[in-house]
Amino acid sequence: MFARFSFIAVLALLASGCANTSPTLGSKNISYGDTKAVETVTNEFGSTDLQMIAESMTRSLAQSGVLQGRPVVQVYDVKNKTSEYIDTREITTTIKTQLMKSGTARFASDNTAMQSQVDQLKLQNQSGLYKKSTVAKTGNMIAAKYRLEGSISSIVKRSSDYKDVFYKFSLQLIDVESGLAEWMDEKEIRKTTER
Amino acid sequence: MRFKLFAVAALAVLASGCATPPPPEPGSAASKVVAMGPQKHIAVGAMRVARENGFMTVNVQLTNTLNSNKTFYYRFAWLGPEGFPIAEEEVWKSQMMYGAQTSFIQGIAPTPKAVDFRLELKTP
Repeated sequence: MFARFSFIAVLALLASGCANTSPTLGSKNISYGDTKAVETVTNEFGSTDLQMIAESMTRSLAQSGVLQGRPVVQVYDVKNKTSEYIDTREITTTIKTQLMKSGTARFASDNTAMQSQVDQLKLQNQSGLYKKSTVAKTGNMIAAKYRLEGSISSIVKRSSDYKDVFYKFSLQLIDVESGLAEWMDEKEIRKTTER
Repeated sequence: MRFKLFAVAALAVLASGCATPPPPEPGSAASKVVAMGPQKHIAVGAMRVARENGFMTVNVQLTNTLNSNKTFYYRFAWLGPEGFPIAEEEVWKSQMMYGAQTSFIQGIAPTPKAVDFRLELKTP
């Protein structure tokens, strides 16, 4: 009897001694990395390019002084003129987020959000489902003072030893009423791979 | 007597060897640089700090002390009045400098609330 108890106790001790105290579960080959690290896995458009472009454009626009009094801005999709697939909407979303955080601009519903906005207004005003006093009135949406639009293009050169990619991102802020470009900036990125 | 002098000299040498360099003066350019590890062949020069349209803007002069090209990584950290970061960390940027080149890097604060900054530098 005593031997059996001792055996169980020893087993329990051993088990607790080997217990994993690390707050992780799963394979050791998977790890979380720094989202702000310089990514050079391939020389295609990557996370660092997206972050650098958004950061550079946002800071330049916010500091330019054009956005006085938190004007309403309508953001258009960035035209992708490169040969790669680039989710340009993510660039504009990051730029919008950073400008919003800096407190320099407000944003009107863009092309994609407009349909949802109209649907919601229609639902509230036409369905008869909502209490009258809480219904959002139509005709009160704020029109944009500026529109923000841009493009990204690339030049790719290859030789037996090198692959060189040059990206150029351009962004401009246009006054909707006058049609004048009030602010413009560019960000250039060169990435070279030596084979 | 001779032994005593030798002992004093040895003590002085030991003490100077163990002495750590004095910390940079608060507000000086050196106090704004956070070197992530040894700073190899990149010398930090003058810094210009200005406020443009409410946003803190920093220009830093850097020199490559090598005669060959040198790549380094940098980013700015923006601090509020309490000395804590007021925005998300910036993305690390990679910059190449030609041999013996002097160039400038510029940083613009993400919000007008920034009153101070740190330049994080990393040389591979």
